Amino acid sequence: MAQAAGGLRGRLRRATGAWLPRAGTQDAGEVVLGQRRVFILPTRAGLGFALLLAVLLVGSINYTLGLGFGLTFLALSCALVDMVATYRNLAHLALQQGRGAPVFAGQEAQFELQVFNRTRLARYAIRADFADVREARHVADIAPGSHALLTLAVPTERRGWLAPARVRLSTRFPLGLFNAWSYWRPATRALVYPRPEDGAPALPLRGDDGGSLRAPGHDDFAGVRNYQAGDSPRRLAWRQIARLGGESGALLSKHFEGGGGDELVLDFDALPGTLDLELRLSRLTRWVLDAEGRALPYAFRLGAVRFDAALGAAHQAACLRALALYGIEDAA
Amino acid sequence: MKRLTTALSRDKADTLLLLGTAVLVLAPHALHVPLWVALLCGATLAWRAAITLRGKRMPPALLLLPLAVAAMAGVQFSYDTLLGKDAGVAMLVLLVAFKMLEMHARRDLFVVIFLCFFLVLTNFFYAQGIGTALLTIASVLLLLATQLSFQFTGAVPPLRVRLAMAGRMLAFAAPIAIVLFVVFPRIHGPLWSMPGDAGGRSGLSDQMAPGQMSNLALSEEPAFRARFFGRPPLQSQLYWRGPVLDFFDGLTWSRGASQASGRDLHLAVGGDALEYEVTLEPSSARWVFALEMPGELPAVPGHRLRISPQFELMATDPLGSRVRYRASSHLDFALQAGPALDDAGRWLLLPYGFNPRALAAGRELRQLGDPMQRVEAVLRQFREQPFQYTLAPPLLGRHTVDEFMYGTRSGFCEHYSGAFVFLMRAAGVPARVVTGYQGGEINPLDGFMTVRQSDAHAWAEVWIAGRGWQRIDPTAAVAPERVRRGLDASVPRPAPFGIEALRGMNPFQGQGKAWMVQLRNAVNAVNNGWNQWVLNYTPERQRAVVRDLQRKLSGWPLVVLPAAVVLALLVLRMVRRRRATHPADALYSTLCKRLGQLGLARAQDEGPSAFAARVDGAADLAPQSRAAASEFLRRYSAWRYAPPAADPRLTATLKSLLSQVR
Repeated sequence: MAQAAGGLRGRLRRATGAWLPRAGTQDAGEVVLGQRRVFILPTRAGLGFALLLAVLLVGSINYTLGLGFGLTFLALSCALVDMVATYRNLAHLALQQGRGAPVFAGQEAQFELQVFNRTRLARYAIRADFADVREARHVADIAPGSHALLTLAVPTERRGWLAPARVRLSTRFPLGLFNAWSYWRPATRALVYPRPEDGAPALPLRGDDGGSLRAPGHDDFAGVRNYQAGDSPRRLAWRQIARLGGESGALLSKHFEGGGGDELVLDFDALPGTLDLELRLSRLTRWVLDAEGRALPYAFRLGAVRFDAALGAAHQAACLRALALYGIEDAA
Repeated sequence: MKRLTTALSRDKADTLLLLGTAVLVLAPHALHVPLWVALLCGATLAWRAAITLRGKRMPPALLLLPLAVAAMAGVQFSYDTLLGKDAGVAMLVLLVAFKMLEMHARRDLFVVIFLCFFLVLTNFFYAQGIGTALLTIASVLLLLATQLSFQFTGAVPPLRVRLAMAGRMLAFAAPIAIVLFVVFPRIHGPLWSMPGDAGGRSGLSDQMAPGQMSNLALSEEPAFRARFFGRPPLQSQLYWRGPVLDFFDGLTWSRGASQASGRDLHLAVGGDALEYEVTLEPSSARWVFALEMPGELPAVPGHRLRISPQFELMATDPLGSRVRYRASSHLDFALQAGPALDDAGRWLLLPYGFNPRALAAGRELRQLGDPMQRVEAVLRQFREQPFQYTLAPPLLGRHTVDEFMYGTRSGFCEHYSGAFVFLMRAAGVPARVVTGYQGGEINPLDGFMTVRQSDAHAWAEVWIAGRGWQRIDPTAAVAPERVRRGLDASVPRPAPFGIEALRGMNPFQGQGKAWMVQLRNAVNAVNNGWNQWVLNYTPERQRAVVRDLQRKLSGWPLVVLPAAVVLALLVLRMVRRRRATHPADALYSTLCKRLGQLGLARAQDEGPSAFAARVDGAADLAPQSRAAASEFLRRYSAWRYAPPAADPRLTATLKSLLSQVR
């Protein structure tokens, strides 16, 4: 029974998805849930109530109960009012997408959804979640003139761009006899980096002699320079900052000069070609993280993408982005 | 109390509300279910309340199941059936009480609430007054509030607010319900009938023995109401014909088997017909009342009528519910006014071995040649000898007529009519007892005439060759005011609770003070209006109302009305759309529009703060406007992006600022 209802519900969702306005396209910017976007159908309790109404009516007819007719019609009218109230509880809400931060494959991507109630009507028990989730995991009450911030999580598996599925907002308030719902496809996407390889080999550090583990450019302290984006926080010249930059507030980085030959290069092509593509990307991802963690400037080579040795969040983000989108056509 | 509700967890508060609702719904049923059912229900609900308050676990099904089976057995024992109306209601009452102990999922809540709705309906089997209607509205309000309370997922507003929400829903629902009530097609019931459905209500019986009618005589219950389309007849003409009693076994008058069919029935009428409408209260009997004599068979909706050779109107089935019918009667009539009566012997039959004195006296009357003289002689006897009209006559023994005529000489209509018919038969005049109602009281407020059970009456008919059956009311010979002014005037009523001092306070006392009479009339008018419009809104009345509406709406309103409705909907939509936006947002878009006209359009992606910065730097704006606009934007932005620091005067402030931007 439950399965049949679930199947029916699924079919219904697909059907409504087909004739939704601008179905399949993403909703850019703010979206207001207007008349054409809100659907409403009786719930199982609502069907039960319809049965009750039939019983009340038949009882009233059979026993010629004048007041019975009154009660029947009052109950029926309450159901009609409930239908309008349920619709109004969802309609005219405004939706805005929030940010979607990049995550590594295997982690949950978080999408922010802001629901504004710019009406004078208090909204209760608004459920929201992705359309393919059976039981909505987020519920919110939204007072007039306020908004709710919902964070919807999706598990990720594959690297690349992740566009969130349709979001389904629904409500059964006030009487639970009707279910009003609406779909929203936020025009946002999150970047999913490859999953960092577990138990990856150590960083491919090579000196001139091809063996010794030495941090490149780490040997000779060559003074300080102004902080540049990409400099590792570990290289901040705290003593000099305290002495010189204290007044101006500028940050200074230590500057090293070392042998260019023992630079750390993370090169995709240097990995054995027998390895699976995803595994190679996965390993590079792990190495990028390791190099950042150990504050070793690293050069990065991946197909057409060639970055000179550097460190820092921006460098890391650029490398990880290249890894996430490697071989994916929509690399924009 | 307040501390209690705030201290309770939400689940507990909801459950207690549900319990309270169930108590309100079940309470009226305590009046008619067996005592043990009422007590068991009370105990069950109290148990559930204790479980809720103490946070205990629900009883296991192993305990509930035997209890439920035992309760069912109890119902079977009390009613000798599990079917039927009363037993069914008792079962439902128990079911709701037990279900409260077996609630686990949300679905169970809906089951309880829906069962409660049905129980509200079953209460109408027993009472359908205005009080019941008010109780019903209260019950529905609580049911809605309960159902609502279980739908919240986050914060739950206080009970007062939830009741207000439910009240608002009811207020919106009421007009729709009224329209549906008026126009929804009505069907005549019953669709089926259950054993024991016919209620044992009081009414005229088709037997008459001393002491029987006095029960009815004290009942203020209305038997039926009549509305005359024209001047109502005089009180003394108001004879509502009911069962005709022809067979006397010495103690009881009853309807003998009617061997004759209606083929020799002959009624000649004269004068104008009197048109009126009768609303007959429910009874277990089949009698349909009309003024003597109805010229044609009235049409009683939902029932088939037949007429007996004694000119009794009756339905083929008991009139278990209130019915309304139109009738027309002629006060001037002649019934079977032939030269001879086919079955005259039947109307002369007397039991053997009863009332020897009366029998002898009757024989003596035969000396008078004209039957009408014999009638007159008996009536004169009633008038001239010390006969007394009383509703509390002494008991009579075996020879009832003898004892009454020559002994006690006090009694009421059934004694007089019975004795009169006995004497007439003994005197060789075909005679019979006719029962029914005599009189009726017109309520000046709504013009409806109420005929009460206390107006039940018995009179006599004698057959005279050439003139047919003649109505003779021997009671009128003794207590003429009984017929002229009704029962109220002829008999002092018992004082309320038997206390003489309270006599004047009884609002149902005919001789009460004027305002009491008025109050009584007002109560009656309201009750009657209720019956006419709510309880007895039959398919016929509905057709009449709809026809009336159509006539009133014919012609130009047919075009204008839909247009008005469409217009109203459009206006409503506009108002709704305006209302759908917070006033501050509306003012914000007005400001943006105005600034756009001043050459400072807000960019699509510009927020109020960024816009304010740009407004501040705009050189071509008047300084005052600039200050007002940026103040506006600052306040708006503060409200919009830092709720909920609600400023009650925000809208007013923004409005005044907006007016300064020009």
